[in-house]
Amino acid sequence: MITPPATPHSAPSTQHSALPWQFDGVVRLTRIGVTFVLFTVFAGFAAINTGNNALYIGLSFMLGALLLSGVASKGGLKHLSVDFESVEEAWAGREAHGRLRVANRSRIWNVRDLILTSSELAAPVFVGIVGRRRDVHVDATFLFHRRGLVQLNSIDLYTRYPFGFFLKKRRVKIRGDVVVYPRLLDAEAARERFRPIDGEQHSASRPGPGSDVHAFREYARGDSLRHVAWKKSASLGRWIIKQTELEAGRAVHVVVDPYKPRSVSDDDFEQMVSEAATFVHEALRRGFEVVVSMPRLELRNGREIFRALALIEPVHEPFVPLVDRNSVVFAVRRSDERKSA
Amino acid sequence: MSERAHEIEALALAMFAAVPLYLTQTIGPVPIVVYHAVMLAIVLRVAAGKSAEVVPAWIMRGLAIAYIGFYAVDAAAISRSAIAASTHLVLFISAYQPIESMRRRNDAQRLLITALIFTASIASATHVSILPFVIVFAFFFFRQLMHVAHRDTIAAAAATAPELPSSRAAGFYLGATSAAALMLFPLLPRVRNPIVPGLAGSLTNASTGLSEVIDLNNQRTISSDTTVVSRVTMGRDAMPFFTPLRLRGAVYDRFRNNQWLQARREFLPLDMSPNGSVRIARDSGFTRHAFAQQRFVTGTRLFLPVGTYQIDGVPQVYEGPTRDTYMVWQPRTDSILYDLRMARDVAPLTVRRVPVSNYPVTPPITSMARRIVGNHTDPMTQAADIERYLSTNFQYVPDPSKIGRRMTVDDFLLHERRGHCEYFAAGMVALMSALGTPARIVGGFYGGKLNPLTGWFVLRREDAHAWVEVYDGAAWRTFDPTPASLRPGAGQGGLLGMYASAIGDSINYFWDRRILTYGLADQLRFFVDSFESARDALRAVKLRVQPVFTMHGAAIAAAMMAVVALLYLFAWQRRPAFALLREHLARRGVEVGSAMTMEEALGRLPADDAAALAPLISLYERERFSAHVSRGARAEIRRRLAALAS
Repeated sequence: MITPPATPHSAPSTQHSALPWQFDGVVRLTRIGVTFVLFTVFAGFAAINTGNNALYIGLSFMLGALLLSGVASKGGLKHLSVDFESVEEAWAGREAHGRLRVANRSRIWNVRDLILTSSELAAPVFVGIVGRRRDVHVDATFLFHRRGLVQLNSIDLYTRYPFGFFLKKRRVKIRGDVVVYPRLLDAEAARERFRPIDGEQHSASRPGPGSDVHAFREYARGDSLRHVAWKKSASLGRWIIKQTELEAGRAVHVVVDPYKPRSVSDDDFEQMVSEAATFVHEALRRGFEVVVSMPRLELRNGREIFRALALIEPVHEPFVPLVDRNSVVFAVRRSDERKSA
Repeated sequence: MSERAHEIEALALAMFAAVPLYLTQTIGPVPIVVYHAVMLAIVLRVAAGKSAEVVPAWIMRGLAIAYIGFYAVDAAAISRSAIAASTHLVLFISAYQPIESMRRRNDAQRLLITALIFTASIASATHVSILPFVIVFAFFFFRQLMHVAHRDTIAAAAATAPELPSSRAAGFYLGATSAAALMLFPLLPRVRNPIVPGLAGSLTNASTGLSEVIDLNNQRTISSDTTVVSRVTMGRDAMPFFTPLRLRGAVYDRFRNNQWLQARREFLPLDMSPNGSVRIARDSGFTRHAFAQQRFVTGTRLFLPVGTYQIDGVPQVYEGPTRDTYMVWQPRTDSILYDLRMARDVAPLTVRRVPVSNYPVTPPITSMARRIVGNHTDPMTQAADIERYLSTNFQYVPDPSKIGRRMTVDDFLLHERRGHCEYFAAGMVALMSALGTPARIVGGFYGGKLNPLTGWFVLRREDAHAWVEVYDGAAWRTFDPTPASLRPGAGQGGLLGMYASAIGDSINYFWDRRILTYGLADQLRFFVDSFESARDALRAVKLRVQPVFTMHGAAIAAAMMAVVALLYLFAWQRRPAFALLREHLARRGVEVGSAMTMEEALGRLPADDAAALAPLISLYERERFSAHVSRGARAEIRRRLAALAS
């Protein structure tokens, strides 16, 4: 059963895209860095002005620290790579937990206090230390705003290590595809759609989970052997599948019509897909058997249904679905038409 | 490490930074003691889990405002030094900041102030022991920086994570920073600001054992001061003849009001030969070479060993402020290095008549002189008699304050018969004057200790001494009536102590020569030596290569060049896929920046070009980021890029 996280879609406001410390480029001087640089300039002036070699020693140390700070943070970040390992079911607008692997191939530099950010991450990910020639696995919370196939392309690495003079950034490639399920809407709307079918239990005159025989058909690849009609198959000499009648009381037939007239906005289409996903999710939650019909597809497995809803694309040619009076149809219409249900 | 422990460490670091101020005496001890007391109180409060508000914050803010006016008063009237007043101000701020930190995070400012205290401490330090202080300070400073960096990162990421132990990391970075500093130190330009004169002026706070006047009206106090004044090295063949060393620094040849004065005269520039040598006397007898490293403690006066007749490697030399003393024109320098040529006997360049000193000889002194010399008439024999008489019949008192009263030279000779070296020298000059022989007191440094590890004689301030020169009609001869066993440096230490002293002095020598006195001349010498070494090496290679540079040699060279070219070609062919793509994109007018991904670069291409290149970038990413190594990907990218280019 698909169980999306309980976080409401409005909750994850921690999306970090506008965090004040983020920047374009590769390096930025921090406040303590500015202080230190100014102080180094001051010490340099004092050393040159007085010719005092004790000050030159201090100046050498300061310049050495600045130099090393830059080299260490750059050298450390340069050898870091990030791999996308996994993500749980990802729903648009809801946080999804996943894992990343951060590897440090440097032979010299440990990298501490590392922050990972990306437009797909719900919040910056903090990594305490990535030792040289080591890798660490970190939990990350993703937040996707749109359904569909999302490709993770890059991730930004930030570090102040070692001395905090510079905030260094490196953008690394990351490869990973995530199918993001549609945004789930308020469950109340889905309940409204259930009212007409609540309490009834009758034959739906459609194939589906049930006890009555609906029809026999040829075996198709992927059919379960449990549904083979053995006697008929033996008599006919080929594989025959027994289709049962869908019991409407425990079953819902959902039809998703991807036709999008040009006058309908993308947002309306997305809203329709979200409504369908929310309805299916509610139905599954109530224990209904759900069959979803889409062009050239008829799906019963919850995961497959949501995957199909995640990937459904609008079509510009009208589609005539087979519906009966118990079908729940999700479709968009021009503004002068009503959505049917 | 808890936040409280870090806070205590930060406070302790600020206290530690001020410790050398006690020793360098940049400021008086009272402000430092007060500072440490306040900081200690803050530390104790923080350790007890209380706030740092040892003084109410509003009072501290009021004091801070009041300090603006106090600073001017301090600089003008109390400490009478902008440096001292600034150091007081920095210490005040350092004590104020922990209290202020309750209201706002001010780590950057606090570390800055700690660093300023540290700078004030090292700026006035000239001893090698400052080096371990710098290292210890840097270690804890790095730890503090790492802590602040960690805390800022945690705050930025809105995360909660304990700080990892940082001692090992700080040690690692301290080592690396020290290595970097070691490389940077000799390369930092030693060109002084030619426009603004030194703000800090001389930081040596030096005082010498030599004085401008031998004032017998006041009791002399002598304190032990191991500061090195000069180091002299010479060959072993020279040591028997020129040691114990006597570095001449002052000549006292006029007597007035119970004071021996230096007869001032104009500074006379001495002629310098084209090769940079300055001749100050005529030599006779065998000569030897020596080398000196000297710190200026009395203006820029040179302390030349007795027997010196020529100086090499110095800028313009002047004779003055008295006859037979010398100084150089080398402004704003703490030390100098020069070569010396010494002869067994030296005489002034020009023969002149030398008067007898103006010491008011009394009849008892004359009779005493006559009694000592007996029937000897040769002035040098008479001088030797008097030297022997004083050194054997008079008592040397190392601490003049023990005599307990003011004493004239006559008192010394006729009644007290005890005193320190200046009395012995003055007594001998008085006796020689009574005999009508020109004599004068010479002040300088005597003896020194030979460091067997470096071969240098080290003379310190505590080796200050006075002796006598008697004129024989052609040259000044040296006599020393002070008992030899009681002269400076005559004390014997244990063998272990001697070696410990030698090792310590070797470290000090390296510190003085290679660190403290490292200057523009050393830098130039370093670069010139490097250039000459490289040139000599090339010349040597050329000399070796030339005989074999025949056809055979040419063939070998050509083969080597071909190998190098092949290696280069091989490396060029083996360029990583990223470089290939970047070059391709550059040809299309898109520069791939260091923070850009290939996708971003692709977005800047025209649609057709982007579509053509997209599969290659996918291929590159698979090759670069996949866990599995795809061996043919780079060749494939190269082939397809070539196809695209054509």
